[in-house]
Order: sequence, then C-alpha cells, then structure tokens
Amino acid sequence: MTCEDLRDSYELYALGLLDGEEKREIDEHLARNCADCRKHLKGALAVNALLLSQAPEVVPPSRLKRRVMASVGAERSVLAWVAALAAAAAVIVALWLGIQNRTTDRELAKARLDLQQSTGERERLEQAFTFLNQPETRQVNFGLDKPAPPRGNFFLNPRLGVLLIASNLPALPAGKAYELWLIPKGGAPRPAGTFQAGAQGTAMHILPGVVDSSVTLAVTVEPEAGSPAPTSGILFSAGF
Amino acid sequence: MLARLIPVSLAFALLQVALRFRDDADLARRLRERDAGAMRELYEHYGRLIYSLIQRMVRNSAAAEDLVQETFLRIWNRIPAFDQERGALGPWVLTVARNRAIDYLRSTDGRMSAGVLDLDRLEHPAQFADFDDRALSMDRARVLKEAFEKLTPNQKTVIELAYYEGLSQTEMAERMQQPLGTIKTWVRSALKVLREQLTEAATV
Repeated sequence: MTCEDLRDSYELYALGLLDGEEKREIDEHLARNCADCRKHLKGALAVNALLLSQAPEVVPPSRLKRRVMASVGAERSVLAWVAALAAAAAVIVALWLGIQNRTTDRELAKARLDLQQSTGERERLEQAFTFLNQPETRQVNFGLDKPAPPRGNFFLNPRLGVLLIASNLPALPAGKAYELWLIPKGGAPRPAGTFQAGAQGTAMHILPGVVDSSVTLAVTVEPEAGSPAPTSGILFSAGF
Repeated sequence: MLARLIPVSLAFALLQVALRFRDDADLARRLRERDAGAMRELYEHYGRLIYSLIQRMVRNSAAAEDLVQETFLRIWNRIPAFDQERGALGPWVLTVARNRAIDYLRSTDGRMSAGVLDLDRLEHPAQFADFDDRALSMDRARVLKEAFEKLTPNQKTVIELAYYEGLSQTEMAERMQQPLGTIKTWVRSALKVLREQLTEAATV
C-alpha cells in the first residue's frame, strides 16, 4: 500500500485501534522511517488531541491535586508514608519470592534497592505485588544456565499481563532501551513495551492486560521509542 | 452524542489546549529537573482537562481520580524522555490520560483490542516531538468542532466509540450490529471530513 492508501488510517493507528493489513503496512513504513508516514502520524496525533480535549468540562475535587502531588513525592507530609509503603511492598514481594531460589532473592534485593530510590516507583511496586499475589500467576526463569547472564524471571498472569524482573542487564548506549516482545505460537513478535535498567543492571517491567497463556517472551535492544518489530537479536527469552 | 456535549465546555477546553503550549517548553524543562512546583503547574494547566476526559470515558468519579493520579505519575516518571524543546506536552498528556482510561475500561469488561500492546509504544514521549504548534491552535479546535457537527449521526457515533470507549472497528460492528465494511466506511469518511476541514482552514 502507498502512504496515500493509508491516509485515512493514521488516527486509528495512533489510538491503537488499527489491526490487520493496514496496521502492518504502517508499522513497516514507520520502521523504515517513511517521511510521509511520520508526517501523517503527527497530523493524526494532533487531530486526536483536539478531539480528546473536547470532553464536557467537569471540575475535579480539590483533594485530587493533593493526591497527585503526594504521589510524586512533592508533598512533604506524605513523603514518609510513601517511602514506608514502598519499603513494605518491596518486603512483601521479597517474602513471596522467598520460596524461590537464591538467585531470585538476589535479584529482588537489587531490584528493591533500585525501586526504593524513587517514591515514584511505588505505583509499579503495588502493581507487581497485586500481580504476584494472584494464584493463577505462573513463573519461568531465564539465564540460570548461562555463564554471563542476564538472569531473572518472567511472571505471567493470563488476566493481568506479564511481569519481568531481571538483573545483570548490560548498560545500553544513549538512545537505546530494552523492549519486551510477546511471541504467540506460530505468530510474529508483538511489541510489549520498552524499559530501562537501573544503575545496577536490574529492571522490572510490567505489561498490563490480558495475555495468551502460551506465549514466548523475549527481550531485545531497540531504539528508545521502541520498534514495531525486533531489529536486534534476542537478549533472553522464555516460553510458557 | 459528542456534539451535544461540546458547546458548554468548549470555550474552556479550547482555551486550555490552545494557550498552554506557549510556555510548555519551560514547564517541561522544570519537570525534567524534578521541580515539584512545575508538577503543581502541570496539574493546574491540565488537571481539569484530564479529569474531564477521563470522567467522560469511565463515568465513575472514584476511578477517574485514580486514573488522573496514574496519568500524572506516568508523566512525572517518563518526562526524562520528553524533548523539552520540540515536544508537545498537551497532546502527550491527553494521550497518556486516554490510554489509562482505556486500560481501565478494558480491565473492567475483560475486553482486549488488537492494538492494546501498541498503546505503550504509541504514547512514548518521542512520538510527540516535532509537533507543529499551529496544529493545536484555538482556531483549529473551533474548526474541528464545527466539522464534527456536520458529520452524520452514525459518523459521530463511531468517532465517539473510537476516541472515548476505545472500541476497534470490529467491536463497533458488534456493538452497532452493522457489517464491518459499513463501520469502516463511516470511520474513514468521518476522519476524512475532519481532516479536510482542518486542512482547508489552514490554507484559507
């Protein structure tokens, strides 16, 4: 298809609502830096923003501003509470994983240190805790048999999504990020979000949403904005 | 649906979206420097707009408050990747807010659209660099509203289902009990009208 054939599809694409042949075409055009497609996508994002800004006005309660400020650690009075909650969540996560092997403990300890460095991480910790606490969550590890790993665990919950905890991740050059992929049986890899490793090479990444319970999960190194399809070799992977 | 909801709120919303972009570069720079005052300012600029959008989508005040908080937290956490000189803060914030509401709607009704895995990639700050500020002017917002009012009822409905309920065209076909081809025609023709009116206004 030409860019002109796709002209009426960029708004839906930008909303994440396009599928089938047209989505694949736009993904391919963008992956090869098609200038027309990039221009059309910017235009579509502008149209989308204009449409989204026209919801009927509702005045939020005044407490909402305090909540928002507190959640980013900007309210001194709640800083201690946020830090305590983050620490408690991290400890609970560590306890849950206590029945796992020592490698996992070390990963969690590292991850916990990284996570506690930012109160902004509280949100993700709470998500992870919710995730790990579900009986249907399944786990598979990777890298244990490798001499120079990244090592870690994938957790899959068909209803909630995927949680990745990894350590020993190599430092990436500027402009690069790790990208998670969902590979359905017999299908092409689907992007599942980008993430960065902390200073100690640890990372936690969550893909929320319904996930097929028999996928393979893989991680590659991609440009920071993410890629529609992998452009480098698999760094590590595991199947469910 | 959207048409009858627009007029009361339009003046305020348009003013917010159109005017705030002028000083967004400075705001983004201060957010990147982890300036709490900038976060307060961001909320003052976009809080009401975001709350209105999310409340319209999820129709649940408690959930809307949670999702607004989640939206601003995500902006705060991801601002380091935002291009303060060339990025458009407003469209990014609106997109992040919509996607949080869509995640919520999908989780409450057990629905998953084909593009859900792409939402994270499509809301990455890098997507909002090199925006033409004129694309978001008050004039264009007014033109868009007028163009929207000219759409047929079916065209308005599919636009609303896509933007505010996050339904794919296949899901719209089921909801409206229409053939997929008909839905696609309505969506495409509606977007074409909106886009053409914007283009026409820009060249006058």
